[in-house]
Amino acid sequence: MIEQDVVCPFCGCLCDDLEIETDGARIVRVKNGCSLAEATFMNDTRLPAPIRRTEAGWEEISYDEAISETAEILREADRPLLYGWSSTHGETQSIGVHIAELIGAVIDNTSTVCHGPSILAIQEVGHPGCTLGQVKNRADVIIYWGCNPVEAHPRHMSRYTTFATGFFVPEAQRERTVIVVDTRRTDTTNIADEFVQIEHGGDYAVLSALRAIVRGKAHVIPASVAGVAKEQLVRIAEICKNAKFGAIFFGLGLTMSRGKYKNVRNAIELTDELSRHTKFVISPLRGHGNVYGSNEVFTWMTGYPFAVDFARGIAFYNPGETTAVDILRRGECDAALIVASDPGANFPRAAAAHLAKIPTVVIDPHVNATTALSRIHIPCTAAGIDAAGTAYRMDGIPIRLKKVIDRGYPDDAEILRKIYDRLDGGMGP
Amino acid sequence: MRCILNTGRSVPQGTAVEHKLSDVYRSIASACFLNPVDLMILGIEDGDRVRVTTPAGYVILTARPAEGVARNECFVTIGPYANHIISSETQGTGMPDFKSQDADVEPTEEAVKSVGELMEAIGGVRP
Ligand code: SF4
Repeated sequence: MIEQDVVCPFCGCLCDDLEIETDGARIVRVKNGCSLAEATFMNDTRLPAPIRRTEAGWEEISYDEAISETAEILREADRPLLYGWSSTHGETQSIGVHIAELIGAVIDNTSTVCHGPSILAIQEVGHPGCTLGQVKNRADVIIYWGCNPVEAHPRHMSRYTTFATGFFVPEAQRERTVIVVDTRRTDTTNIADEFVQIEHGGDYAVLSALRAIVRGKAHVIPASVAGVAKEQLVRIAEICKNAKFGAIFFGLGLTMSRGKYKNVRNAIELTDELSRHTKFVISPLRGHGNVYGSNEVFTWMTGYPFAVDFARGIAFYNPGETTAVDILRRGECDAALIVASDPGANFPRAAAAHLAKIPTVVIDPHVNATTALSRIHIPCTAAGIDAAGTAYRMDGIPIRLKKVIDRGYPDDAEILRKIYDRLDGGMGP
Repeated sequence: MRCILNTGRSVPQGTAVEHKLSDVYRSIASACFLNPVDLMILGIEDGDRVRVTTPAGYVILTARPAEGVARNECFVTIGPYANHIISSETQGTGMPDFKSQDADVEPTEEAVKSVGELMEAIGGVRP
């Protein structure tokens, strides 16, 4: 059978034009997707059943046993941490928030180690953004800052920017100017019309210099800023000011390097400055398929996008204190539930090590590095492959993920609902 | 040699990311990309091992040349190898310094550990 218009759940682009050929419960061919999409759909190996770690090694257990034991671990804990949520659908995320509220847990999602700082900056100065459709149809100047879409979001350029034909930019390759800012040369910088190579940690200074030039204060800028020649900065400022519609996309190069959210704030303020001359927008390139959704769901349920602490009975948010890495580094949590993510691989060693010291339960379709640190791993469906649900694209557009095949696994939402029921005696209507 | 440790995503890492305990993933995530000139200064070649040390610890990686990487920088794909030596300090933001850790890179004969061994080093047990 061939299913049309399938959504790829892997990265924040959520491309919704895939064609997938299935043969019963097996996917045999993926069309239109990039190589990441192909790997997502084709190399999907999972555990056959939940496993539990014992003195003697790992043993298989039933779903019922795994669920009761998880509920018991969470019930016993004084300061549980519920972490992950970005590679599953909104329905699961919302049950996660309900559990956190019920047991007074800290709930955090993976944006804490990707675009958390972008959110902090947006909370300070706002977000002049737009949908990817607007960018595709209107933008004639595109800036990729501190990101490498060729590697991390392989179809971003062909669907929305550099190579995408737009309503007002019919000849994309000729009409769009692409500027890439990075500390190293990458496959993305090779496609750029202008490659701005800055010294490590120089983003803030270069953004400030551009703001000054756009303001008409080029005379105060020295001959070179963080390794970038003044002439190039002046040239880029001119390109931006003369754009009909400019779009800046930024990545972890801004959020993870020195300055973190202040870098992003400066980039937003540059966008603001440019909007006094023409129309400019800015947006983060979100990584995981539904990481934006975890921010949306957390926000509409608790008022905060990540790092929400329910220990006081109300939602409390203080990044740096209630963020997962900090809670683990301080050795503060005494149990952890990890859903649809892999902090064992993605967190600094000292933070990951704490997961092995406490009872940690993983609910994830795939065995990952965190599995080795856990007590129980419960395999489940993968959203967008064998489970349907809502995900949010990187520009905030909700898209319905499809169920393409049935492999007989329970949905993670169903597993969490059962855990909730055991903790509370029923979730109600 | 003093370097700045930078991390990031790549397509090979993305395609193997759901198979973290595989050999393919090991070779991708444990590659340490250095400017060819730096490789020369270290007196090593493509495929030789380096010991990368930060205040948080050290890890053994496989050196790979990459023209695009600046001098005195080492690029490691995001994942358990890089994280083995990244400090968990977040300066009140929740975000560790994934892209700006000072590191010391030196040649070594030691072998590269598997992801499973790295997890065992912090108290894990391989499934
Ligand atoms: S660009 Fe992202 S969403 Fe689109 S097919 Fe590739 S991995 Fe999937």
